[in-house]
Amino acid sequence: MAEPVIHLQDLCKTYRVPEREPGMRAALGSLFHRKMKEVKAVDGLTFDLARGEMVGFLGPNGAGKTTTLKMLSGLLHPTGGEVKVLGSIPWKRERDYLRQITLVMGQRSQLVWDIPAADSFELNRVIYRLPVVDYQRTLKELTDLLELGPLLSKPVRNLSLGERMKCEIAAALLHRPQVVFLDEPTIGLDVTMQRRIRSFLSEYNQRYEATILLTSHYMADVEALSRRVIVIHHGKLLFDGDLAKLVQKFTAHKTIIVQLGDCSADLHSYGEVINCEAGRWTLRVPKDRTARITEKLLADLPVIDLLVEDPPIEEVIDLVFTQGSS
Amino acid sequence: MKIFRLVFTFFRIGVLTETAYRANFFIQLFQSLLELGTSLAGLAVIFTYTNSLGGWLPDEMLALVGVYFLMGGIISLVIQPGMSALIDSVRDGTLDFTLTKPEDAQLLVSIQRISIWSLLDVLMGIGVLVTALILLKQSVGPVAALEFIIMLMAGGVIVYSFWLILASLSFWLVRVENLLEIFQSMYQAGRWPVSLYPGWLRFALTFLVPVAFAITIPVEALTGRLDILTLLGAMGLAIALFIIARVVWRLGLRHYAGASA
Amino acid sequence: MTPGSEIRHLFRLYGQQFKTTFASMVQYRASLVIWMISQVLEPLIYLIVWSTVSNGSGGSVGGYTARGFAAYYLVFMVVNQFTYTWIMWEYEYRVRQGYLSFALLKPVHPIHSDISDNLSSKLLTLPIILIVAGIMALIFRPTASMTLWSGLVFIPALILAFLVRFLVEWTLALAAFWTTRVNAINQVYFVMMLFLAGQIAPLSLFPAWIQTIANILPFRWMLGFPVQLLLGQLTPVQTLEGLVAQVAWVIASLVLLRVAWRAGVRVYSAVGG
Repeated sequence: MAEPVIHLQDLCKTYRVPEREPGMRAALGSLFHRKMKEVKAVDGLTFDLARGEMVGFLGPNGAGKTTTLKMLSGLLHPTGGEVKVLGSIPWKRERDYLRQITLVMGQRSQLVWDIPAADSFELNRVIYRLPVVDYQRTLKELTDLLELGPLLSKPVRNLSLGERMKCEIAAALLHRPQVVFLDEPTIGLDVTMQRRIRSFLSEYNQRYEATILLTSHYMADVEALSRRVIVIHHGKLLFDGDLAKLVQKFTAHKTIIVQLGDCSADLHSYGEVINCEAGRWTLRVPKDRTARITEKLLADLPVIDLLVEDPPIEEVIDLVFTQGSS
Repeated sequence: MKIFRLVFTFFRIGVLTETAYRANFFIQLFQSLLELGTSLAGLAVIFTYTNSLGGWLPDEMLALVGVYFLMGGIISLVIQPGMSALIDSVRDGTLDFTLTKPEDAQLLVSIQRISIWSLLDVLMGIGVLVTALILLKQSVGPVAALEFIIMLMAGGVIVYSFWLILASLSFWLVRVENLLEIFQSMYQAGRWPVSLYPGWLRFALTFLVPVAFAITIPVEALTGRLDILTLLGAMGLAIALFIIARVVWRLGLRHYAGASA
Repeated sequence: MTPGSEIRHLFRLYGQQFKTTFASMVQYRASLVIWMISQVLEPLIYLIVWSTVSNGSGGSVGGYTARGFAAYYLVFMVVNQFTYTWIMWEYEYRVRQGYLSFALLKPVHPIHSDISDNLSSKLLTLPIILIVAGIMALIFRPTASMTLWSGLVFIPALILAFLVRFLVEWTLALAAFWTTRVNAINQVYFVMMLFLAGQIAPLSLFPAWIQTIANILPFRWMLGFPVQLLLGQLTPVQTLEGLVAQVAWVIASLVLLRVAWRAGVRVYSAVGG
């Protein structure tokens, strides 16, 4: 088998943070002696990615996704373990390595604010030393795929959030990197734009055989990319495998939230009661029976409000965690 | 070299950014001219009562004003905006983008922002300087001219390194902008020859905040006041500070990347 | 509300403002230090430059010896600190960020919180400046021929100077309602103050026509006048004339202030705040 493009072995990142009780005495005490707490942001992560794979890196906030991504792109030094991308050690930040990767961060922009995106692209062209012909060709392809046409000549500050994100992604791909890291790229975008960007990434992955690692806490991101998913929580790897298996296993349920007058009723016959607070009931029901159960609830009970949701990612993660790794 | 292309590209972006706000040109022009007028009027008042200020002749003082604006212009053109942007990018994490680019990060952060209107100050400074040279009439010999250019470059390197060291402190400390503002307040003292000030102030303006190296010393070279010791000292300090700045920068990057000390 | 309770209410407002100002000054103590450095450095530089001139011109210039300049600029440093305002930048910031809406909604005229904020911060910075001036006095050894009566009249003159400066600059701050180019306006203002308040040089060193202009404009009455008064450089007649000019400017600026404020609020509300 060919050498994996991304290789992690027992990767660890531990932070030491100062810990302090509230109150005056503790504040004064901390002047003399600082208590440090060790936080394991990433704890023994191991996986490989082959060339052309697109992987969703999933986990709730604070799970360690961004930290892992930063170690892969060379921004952070690991505390322990091994990491190799394209045969290079990322934190050495070798020029040849950096030329082959790219990083897109959902809430931060590398585009220059007051000028058209096209000029920021120019800057990247110079920094990456792209020959003009190659650059023009790539730019045209990206413009077509992302429908950037009218956006390129507008100052970035005049673009909507979604338009900015498209330009952001284009800027990151001008140098045709072999490895693409995306950190929460769809955060804050409306549903339509999220879908467009997901389909772009899918197409880009197929066309250029780029290896793509994308972090998210949206289930929908992962579903759309429909390949392998790695679930991380508390810095530990919880699930690494086919998305189909994960979906089948853990999202065979839906969550129904029913608002009643109080918590006195007994709803066990409708579904698994997760909890109840001030009349707000959370039930877990099998996906295929959702419509029927909803009907029954509305008919039988004095429902004030009712909402049907996919199980939140935290719940899926909890399930994965409690049931152990597959 | 490829570096010049990079610098030129950032310059171009600076022009594109600022020309988006055209009115700023006229405002900036007005303010720069007003500042120059103020300096010259101040000199006029002083020189109605004397014909030599601590040994400095009016035309020599004019040269000092020229260098004051020239150096100040260079600082506001490229040094201050870049270092200020560096501090912000450490705080909001956009430094990460710079660090994933296949180019030396120190180079990128140093030229990342060009405040193009400050070119007005630079041009103004050069204009005043040239006028002063013409008025001085005395043969500013090739040696003095060369010394001047070298001291100007040394001054520039010293100021740049000083700013980079302070800006790099933002890897470890918060609110470093305040430190840099101290430079701005003390730079005002450079309007006058540092030799006028009492010892303790002269020390502060030379070794704490390198105002003397930025302004007074290059003009001393021009007006034949420079002794060989100061010349060599300034060159040595420029090289030393440049190296120290690079070291501090790299240490800062390692800290930012969470490398074990 | 009765006048008595109104006054008590104002007192409480001022007291409250003092606590707020103090807290934020502790928070921003670094920028405070920087500001104080420039407050000290500027008069110090002029002190040194003029001392150099006078030493090189046979000991005195325009009636001032080096030590005379020291006296002038050290007193200037303190008077400047006492009368200082930063209200123009305050208003530019408030208008830009839209915070002015909050101030306009309160039942009290915003000028009260501005005055109390200003005075509160000086309760802390003035002692520091006095100490620094004292240290500088040990270094530069100022001399002046002060008199008792001029020392006494100095106090009301100083208060009037503060009022003139505050009211004029507060009115100027309202320019923020009409333009964002406040920096350019402020710069013109400060250049005029530099020359006409006795800052770049004591006013007596300027030709007569400039001194006449300085007497008409308010700058001298904000700074130069109380300084000259304390140093015993004015005759009783000149002192009286100065006090009248100060009072005249307080009244004039109050009138201007009311007009500008009303017009400004109209513009601000029209735009939507």
